[in-house]
Order: sequence, then C-alpha cells, then structure tokens
Amino acid sequence: MINEPNEMTFDSKKFSMILYGSPGVGKTTLALSAPDPVLIDFDRGISRIKAEHRRLAKAVITLDTYEEVLKDIESPVVAAAQTIVIDTGGSFVTFLQDWAMRSNPSVNRQKNGAISLKGFGAVKSEFIRFTGYVKDVLNKNVIYVFHTEEKTDKDGNTQQRLMCEGAAKNIVWTPCDFGGYIQMIGQERRIFFSPEQEFFAKGCHGITGNYPIPALGPNVPNDFLTRIFDKAKANIAEETAEYIPLKEKYDAAIAKGKEIVAGITDVETANAAMPQISSIEHALTSKKEIGVMFNARIRELGLFFDSVLKKYTPAPKED
Amino acid sequence: MFLITQSLLSSWGYMYNCREDVQEQAKEDFIRSLNREPIPANEAMQAGIDFERLCYSIANGTFSPEFVTDGTVNKSSYGDGELMGYNKYPKNYDGAKKVADIIRGGQIQVNLRRPITVDGTRFLIHGVLDVLKAGVIYDVKYKVMSFGSLYLAGSYLDSPQHPAYFYLVPEAREFQYLVSDGTDLYVETYTRENTPYIGDLIAEFVTSVKGMGLYELYTEKWLA
Repeated sequence: MINEPNEMTFDSKKFSMILYGSPGVGKTTLALSAPDPVLIDFDRGISRIKAEHRRLAKAVITLDTYEEVLKDIESPVVAAAQTIVIDTGGSFVTFLQDWAMRSNPSVNRQKNGAISLKGFGAVKSEFIRFTGYVKDVLNKNVIYVFHTEEKTDKDGNTQQRLMCEGAAKNIVWTPCDFGGYIQMIGQERRIFFSPEQEFFAKGCHGITGNYPIPALGPNVPNDFLTRIFDKAKANIAEETAEYIPLKEKYDAAIAKGKEIVAGITDVETANAAMPQISSIEHALTSKKEIGVMFNARIRELGLFFDSVLKKYTPAPKED
Repeated sequence: MFLITQSLLSSWGYMYNCREDVQEQAKEDFIRSLNREPIPANEAMQAGIDFERLCYSIANGTFSPEFVTDGTVNKSSYGDGELMGYNKYPKNYDGAKKVADIIRGGQIQVNLRRPITVDGTRFLIHGVLDVLKAGVIYDVKYKVMSFGSLYLAGSYLDSPQHPAYFYLVPEAREFQYLVSDGTDLYVETYTRENTPYIGDLIAEFVTSVKGMGLYELYTEKWLA
C-alpha cells in the first residue's frame, strides 16, 4: 500500500517501551494498562499482582523454556492482543541464555556450565530478532519491564539502572520509543520520561517530563498507558503535519544547492553561485549544509575569497 | 572575546566526574588543555578516529572491502578468467555500517563558530559537528569495550557537547549520540527542550577556573 506522507494516519501505530523501577512500585500493573495486553511471565511474578488487575491481561503466558514462548506468540490469543508485556526483561535474558546453551552447547557453553562469550552473542542476536519480530511482524506494542539495580557513584549519589546481564541492557534502549522510570514520591507514584541524574529515561512524540500514575480503585480503570499511547499518536499526527512541509522544503533546498555547487568550476561560476545560493528558500539545516558543500567545492578548486572585492579570485601565486 | 570548545568544557567537567584515583591526572590534562598543548592520540582515541573514518567511508560510498585471493583463477565455463577469492571486511564493520545507514547524505565534519555573551564577557563557541543532516546533529562515538561490559544509558546526560552544538545550530531539532562497540549501536537522543543552556555551563566554568586561579591562563591562551 502506498500512502502520501500527508495522508498517513497513525491510529495503528505501535510503540515499544521500557518500564523500570523498584520492586513493588507497580511496574507490571502499569504495563497491563497498555491496550489489550498479553503478559509473558518470565519472572513468575503474576501472583504478586492484585486479582482485579491481573484480569486486565488477555492472557498470561507462563513457561519453562524459551521455545515455549516462540510457540505461544503464534497462538490466536496473542494474535488478538495489541500489546506484549515481557516481565521481566532481565529474566527474559536468563531464559535466552538457557536456550542458547541448550541449542548449541559446544559453542555457547563453557566447560564449567557458564555461558560463553559466543553464547552472550547468540543471546543478544536473539533478543534483537525477537523484539523486531514482535513489534514489526506481529505488529504489537512491546513493553519490557525491568527491575532496577542501584549503583552509587563516587560522590555517593544513587543511580538506578536496568537489572539485566549482557549487552541487552544497552541495546534494548535504542529501538524503544519510551523508557519510563517509576518512582514513589510521598504517597504518589510518578513515571518519568525525561532523564535525571538518578536515572535515565526516554520520551518522544511530546511525551516528556513526568506524570502522576492514578491510584487504582473500583471506578478507576487501569488504562494509563493506553492514554499515553493515544496521546503520542495524536502528537505524531501533529508533528507530521508540521514536519512534512519543512522536510519537503529542505529536500528541495538541498537538491538546488547540490545543483549549484556541482556547477562551480572556476572563479566566474563560484561568484555566480553566491547569489543563487542566497536566493534558496531554506528549511531545517539546509543553509548550513549547503554552506559546507559550497566551501568544500571552493577548497577543492583552490579559490580565494577577496574580502575587499567581496568575490572569489584565483588563489594568489606564491613567489 | 575568548574561544570555548566542548572538549575544553569536557576536560574541565571530567575533573569533577572522574574516579578519585585519576583526579590528579584529570587536573593535569585540563591544565594542558588550558595551555592548548596538543594531546597525542592514545590507542582508544585512535580507534575512535579510525571507526569514524570507516563510518564516513561507508556512508559516502568510498568504502570497498579488501579482496583476498591466492591468485586462483576460475576456469569453469561460466566464470572463465575470473580471479577467485572473497571480500574481507574490517573489524568494526558491522557497527560502522549501522552508523553509516543513519548518517548517509548528511554533511560531515561541519566546522562552526558562534559568539555568546555570558555575564558581560564575550565568548566564541567553536565546534566541529560529526554530521549534520535534516535538522539533526549526529555525534559518532566508539567504545573499545563491548556493550556487554558497559552501561550506557544516560552516559551523555552531563556532556557539554549537545548544549554547545545546539547553540551552534539554532535550527537543529535533535542531537543524537551514535555509540557503537564495532558490532552494536546504541543511540541516545536529546532535544532542545531537555538540554541545558550552554551559557549557564560557561558561567560555571568561568567561576570554577577563577576559583582554581587559572582564569588568567585561560584568557591568555584562548583569545579568539
């Protein structure tokens, strides 16, 4: 299906998100506030969630091996869901390590039973493949729930990090649209989408700063992340409406600039190019970018700018 | 007017953020920076420079893998006379390719200057952007250690680089650190809204340098 950029809608846009925070802060319950969630309970922590909130999951997948996950995500229940919650990302990596060592023991397992460096590589590759498959092929929101690990810097300041082994703790951030850190402040739970000294967080599409998480009760639906996602979709539509004309103008400016710069072959064409470049209608960073192209071409030709005459001349001859 | 660069600010900031055991060294390095003494590239710096070059060459299409052959010629009917061998890709190619796919089409090594007045003093901010493309500033970073042994999230929160470069390019919408260990890519994005004003950082720098008795040295060596 071919869509014109300005005709695109984002109603079916899916997001990926990291949720992390201390034990008991309500990460899994919050993850289940995303639209139509299925929970993959790597951590066997579903029993810790209140029964009324547990029911918000369309299904809970409990498992003994990673192979079971691969089978279960193809089930009709998962097909009908909009969100897959990985609880926790750290335990998911542990399952992947077990899978890597069983599936290729000669390469991925050391003699002492620990995972080898190649095994870590296999885990990382599968982590990336699985995430991409769920988000892009199955077209689901993906939420990674992580516990935190508290570190102290040299000044004694506390820093919160994702509890996870191997490279996954880093690579998980890049494809994620949002990284929310959940914290109790007094009696209120808040989620942060902007980074602070104590923790890293990530926001986009206008979802930044921090938000109070509503306390759940009989008449308060658990739909916080559904509303966040809806807000992000509305913001994307606005951003797109604003950005597309700018990008079109930018592309046109860069194309024109490239054409002018390509036509510079000597002093005359360089001088003729200056007013042509000035007359380009610029957008975003096109002015600076064309300036860089122009300067590079001038250097290439060895031309010299005479600041008195305000024009290019051949470089002065050295005696 | 005095020149100021993000690397000078980084060198100053590192004195306060480094481990205690290297604090003396960090101070010495900062004073060398203040004296504008050239710092020879160490192994890690050189690896970073080589990685950046590899990214740029892939992005601009000048990279070609080394063709390794023992001189054997294909004598079969469909490949008569063709030299047999294989393409050898350099170490770090996978990570560099991921970076190159993002920066392709952008302008590389963009040299910029812009004056700023802080508490009545004029400074000239100078920076060389790795890549500028369509409203986004990219900075390429290389990590010698693999991602498995590092924790990167938030690494650049306190860096003076994105505040300085946002000031140099007022029309930029985003700043992205593209960090690779030669295999994987980690991207940390900052927007103008979540970036502190560089003028505040320069004010802190001046106060601190005055407190260390080094302001005269700075104004002598960094005259623009």
